[in-house]
Amino acid sequence: MNRRDALNRVVLLMGGVLSGPTLMAMKQWDNPGAFVPGSVGLTESQKSVVAQVAEMILPRTDTPGAKDAGVPDFIEMMLNDCYAQPEHTSFKKGVDQLLEAGFLNQSEQQRTVTLKGVEQQTKSLMQAFNVRQSKMGDNEDKLLMDNQNQGLPFWRLMKELTLLGYYTSEVGLNASYQYVPVPGKFENIKLKPNQKVFAY
Amino acid sequence: MYLNLKSKQENSFDAIVVGSGMTGGIAAKELTEKGLTVLMIERGREVKHIEGYETAMNTPWELQHRDKATINSLEEHWANNRFNSMANDEKMMFMTNDKQNPYVEKRPFDWIRAYHTGGKSMHWGRQSYRWNEQDFEANAKDGIGVDWPIRYKELVPWYEYIEKFVGVSGQKENWSVLPDSNFLPAMPMTPPELYFRKKMKEKLNRPVTIGRIANLTKAQPWHTELGRASCQYRNKCSRGCPYGGYYSSLSGAIPAAARTNRLTMVHNGIVSEIMYDAETQKAKGVRVIDQNTKETTEYFAKIIFLNAGSMNTAALLLNSKSSRFQNGMGNDSDQVGRNIMDHHLGVGANATIEGFEDDYVFGQRPNALYIPRFRNWGGDKQNNYIRGYRYQGGANRADWKRGVNADGFGATFKQDLTQPGTWTIGFGGFGEVLPNPNNRMSLDPVKKDQWGVPLIVFDAAFGENEFAMRKDIALSAAEMLDAAGFKNINTYNRPEVHLGLGIHDMGTARMGKDPKTSVLNNFNQVHDCKNVFVTDGAAMASSSCVNPSLTYMAFTARAADHAVSELKKKNL
Repeated sequence: MNRRDALNRVVLLMGGVLSGPTLMAMKQWDNPGAFVPGSVGLTESQKSVVAQVAEMILPRTDTPGAKDAGVPDFIEMMLNDCYAQPEHTSFKKGVDQLLEAGFLNQSEQQRTVTLKGVEQQTKSLMQAFNVRQSKMGDNEDKLLMDNQNQGLPFWRLMKELTLLGYYTSEVGLNASYQYVPVPGKFENIKLKPNQKVFAY
Repeated sequence: MYLNLKSKQENSFDAIVVGSGMTGGIAAKELTEKGLTVLMIERGREVKHIEGYETAMNTPWELQHRDKATINSLEEHWANNRFNSMANDEKMMFMTNDKQNPYVEKRPFDWIRAYHTGGKSMHWGRQSYRWNEQDFEANAKDGIGVDWPIRYKELVPWYEYIEKFVGVSGQKENWSVLPDSNFLPAMPMTPPELYFRKKMKEKLNRPVTIGRIANLTKAQPWHTELGRASCQYRNKCSRGCPYGGYYSSLSGAIPAAARTNRLTMVHNGIVSEIMYDAETQKAKGVRVIDQNTKETTEYFAKIIFLNAGSMNTAALLLNSKSSRFQNGMGNDSDQVGRNIMDHHLGVGANATIEGFEDDYVFGQRPNALYIPRFRNWGGDKQNNYIRGYRYQGGANRADWKRGVNADGFGATFKQDLTQPGTWTIGFGGFGEVLPNPNNRMSLDPVKKDQWGVPLIVFDAAFGENEFAMRKDIALSAAEMLDAAGFKNINTYNRPEVHLGLGIHDMGTARMGKDPKTSVLNNFNQVHDCKNVFVTDGAAMASSSCVNPSLTYMAFTARAADHAVSELKKKNL
């Protein structure tokens, strides 16, 4: 490997990394008190969009879907409690664009097409914002981006919070994984066919 | 000031230990076991073992915000959350409120504190390593800082003693760069990690071992008699372990001290000052402010151990002024508060691994791989920096989080995320930081906290040696992953890095041979006030690149032994 090339590699790791108010926390030391708690303040139709998009990401199948697991309320709570104005703005902007595109009246097929478009646009936005990941402390990955005031894009927030809300909820976790709160041992095993992920 | 005028006799002990964390616990244990009556003073609230671990048995959905910190927490715990979400619902109770305990930054410093019983030992990383022979010789060899007044061999029996008590799991390797401890059984490596270890040996001749960690893989009788049990592989250590599976001051040293019936504990007691007796030329006691009532109490003892955490220990010395010590106790050398060191981190590389699709693990290993220092070691010589670094990291199968950055949504996407993802692997470096007298903390001449104690001012930053090392850390990590044949290699080197976040802050009252250039002698005694011992990280004259707690504890046990022996000889 060329040592110089290695330093220029910036890809988002396949393991995934979560966002958070850390994005803002960077500048706390020279700007204390700049990020005050506030409500994202979603209207009823905005809430409907959030619920429908969540359900499109993780639909009810033979296992419960996002709505069954209470994901829409979770997303709003998380936006209120864990994100500040930049993400509130970027999130609502994405919701409003879907409203304007008539998302709520679209068929499921049309919604799929719409969201695939949003997904592709988000990828370009993430590149333009230079969103990247870094290890912060000892063992925690975080997203970094240029100009934090623009907020992470709607789709990136929506997807993360939907997955987080679902796979860590009582309904979603138990439907998806084998929950092992006290494993009692650590061992290498071979994967059995249809082996569920262990959750701890 | 409200002065609590209890009788002097009632408030007198053989020894006072300031702080109940990693080293305060060991000091209290050793001194009480050797027959002394000890008063341990903790500035924060009381946490009780097991019942105080409020989130220990919480399910994922019982943590309202999962592992994220809230905006409110960001305000209240701004130093904790500046780069990590440390003060989240899961472990906020072991993080200190930065807003109520402010400090001043001339240059930014990530000061992570733990004001409660057990201190930072409640949420430490538990990685436990001996320093090597060269670590103690490096300052003399490089002409940097001051030479250590002690060598590795003198510390060996104390390492052995602490390792046995604490319980350190690991693999014997016979490497001079990373001397073996007395180990409990090692935790297993996963198949891709074993493959990586083999490739590193073949291609780069770099050693890889499983982390050496203070989690009980097999509890021994002296652990179980204190109520500790073997690790349950939940990997939720930072919530506090109701099984006592990992070592903390609260699960180990404090119960050991308490069973002697010679330990008295005071909580919510902020030690503002060490009182000096000009007649005896010794410290006579400490002044303590109750953080709730603000009442002041004086306590007296023959010896005083400072284990408040490196920065607070130095602040306490600086704030202890007398006609003899006008610039702070033990500060004739003007070295108290200087030479702040830490380990720099947030730099490394990661990759994805093809294959091993059938391999999976049961349980959560609270541990990772360790690659000891290979730079400026043996035949290796770097031109643009001295000393070295080591890596921590390992391989895991991706979980649902991979879906966040991946394309797709809908039924198939949802189904896919119930299966384990590809293996990913990553290594982050921890680099040695050089002692620099200009990296310092001092007391603000004007600003005081709500208890009237001067605020600490930090004025410190990494230097050229550290930044040159960081580039190599990222590149060498990428090279190793490439040599092993892994794909999608990604390097990272956090742009903004401050001292402190390694939470290995040390060096503010260094040991040395010469009282003119150091604060402590070879038994951690303040040169000109020998009944005051500093055995936390403040005592360190250099930082090595390995995790420091084991060494702090070994120094503490050694100093306590010396203290008792000197007391018996009536030298103190």
